[in-house]
Amino acid sequence: MHEPRDFLFWPARVLPHLALLVALLGLWEWAVASGSVDTIMVPRPSAIMAAIFELYVTKGSIYQHFFITLAEAVFGFLIGAGVAIALAVSSSLSENFERYVSPYAVVLNVTPGIALTPIIIAWFGYGMGSKIALAAVICFFPIFVNTLTGLRQTDPDREELFRSFGASRRQVFTQLRVPAALPLMFAGLKIGLTTALIGAVVAEFAQATAGVGVLMSRFSFALDMASSLATLLSMTLIGLLLFYTMEFLDDRVVFWRRDARMSAVSRARARAWASGAEK
Amino acid sequence: MADVVTQMAATGGKSLRQRQNATHIGIFLTLILLWELGALMGWLDPLFFPAPSAILTSFWRIYFAQGNIWYHLYVSLGLVFAGFTAGSILGIGLGAVVGMNGLVRRFLQPYVIVLEATPRIAVAPLLIAALGFGATSKIAIIMLVCFFAPFINTLSGVINVDRDRMELMRSLGASKLQVLRKLVLPEAVPVIMAGERLALTSALSGVLVAEFIQRDQGIGTLILTYTRNLNMASAFACILTLTLIGFLIFKGMEKLDHHIAYWKNEAGLRRVGAKRAQAWATAQRGQSNA
Repeated sequence: MHEPRDFLFWPARVLPHLALLVALLGLWEWAVASGSVDTIMVPRPSAIMAAIFELYVTKGSIYQHFFITLAEAVFGFLIGAGVAIALAVSSSLSENFERYVSPYAVVLNVTPGIALTPIIIAWFGYGMGSKIALAAVICFFPIFVNTLTGLRQTDPDREELFRSFGASRRQVFTQLRVPAALPLMFAGLKIGLTTALIGAVVAEFAQATAGVGVLMSRFSFALDMASSLATLLSMTLIGLLLFYTMEFLDDRVVFWRRDARMSAVSRARARAWASGAEK
Repeated sequence: MADVVTQMAATGGKSLRQRQNATHIGIFLTLILLWELGALMGWLDPLFFPAPSAILTSFWRIYFAQGNIWYHLYVSLGLVFAGFTAGSILGIGLGAVVGMNGLVRRFLQPYVIVLEATPRIAVAPLLIAALGFGATSKIAIIMLVCFFAPFINTLSGVINVDRDRMELMRSLGASKLQVLRKLVLPEAVPVIMAGERLALTSALSGVLVAEFIQRDQGIGTLILTYTRNLNMASAFACILTLTLIGFLIFKGMEKLDHHIAYWKNEAGLRRVGAKRAQAWATAQRGQSNA
């Protein structure tokens, strides 16, 4: 369906979507203007646009909060993912380690991480530290489980092939297990990154001085629903930003899963090999 | 290493199992003892890291001596149940409708992507402002949080039906209803159940967030109040209660999954197969009698 020449006709594909969006917004605007929907409950689309304009352009007050939340989510994710991958790799290498560590990981998993919010705030204070900590705790488990599952599910035939060619344990790990685990690991990382954002935002709801979450609860409690929705849309923006960054990395690292990327990489490698052989 | 373990398991499985369990308990007790010791010697600030004995005492107090947790548990779990039921019915229904209809799917897809990127729980303050304080807004929050996993999973379950099988059923003249009942549902149910499992755990998170914001009653408010009063031992007892609930939910959903999607596991297949064979046999007997 998505042949390359489809790109030439992209307006034809996008236009119906756009038309639907405009029609929906128009209907919404009309419903609010005619008074059939309460303005406090549901602000007009034009009011939301105005709020977005104010937040981003005239006042520019959102940038500080935007980057704080983004930083909290990213740092929390990096810490959580680092610990999760380290534990998963150790578990896959040592059966004893897995046997005696995994029960604690399971206990951590069935506890709703969000329940820890007040305690983590008491431990790490009102600043960014507590948000980073909560984000790290919440994003830990999906990454841990996916990495561990990925590292364990190696094809026995391939492993035998590696063994019979006399591959060392290290070679089996780096050249067989890790590549086999990467797709699942990236799926876990993608989930983890969005959960990290949730952790950061929830911690901001509970207690914080800056961040998108604080901004949003302030607006909603002032019943400024238009600005509140505009802030929500910026959270969506952060979420999309994080998600597509991860998707991009996934595409680069796990290149063998998409045909286009696969052929591009193999062409590059063939070229490099050919120029190496000439010398 | 692995070979040694399997060999030992083959010769003396029970004693190995017992030794492993003993090690588990040993590690656990050592950790707890170290923690207790740390609290006793003053290495850990009791305000932040309460001793295990203090947590046990709090358990006794909030469950029996004072017994104040029961009401909050009752409130929170009631909300979880209501929100989860409403959200998953909506999610599965919409997912099925959207999945079966290509046009709706195409036009809805961009919105689904945008909504998926939004941290769902972030809508909580908005819903509270719109619907007011009280149970309604809490249920709405849980519903919203519960909606997505079943929706997305139902959608993908319905879409990812094997094309060849679909064609086979069509060419054998199956009606739309038959295709739904005999092909689409059996293939989609395990995926839908996975979505439900996710939804129920996020419902628990949803109710906590709603209670953190509203701060009137429920287990989330209880945790928040205890932490504010620096009664960390009781806060930990509440969180361990949630761990237990989470564990029960996890196990319960697993059981339910085995029961509903019986064709995905040996035991379930045998159980239902035996029952059907029996029913068929009695029907045969009834016919031959008549």
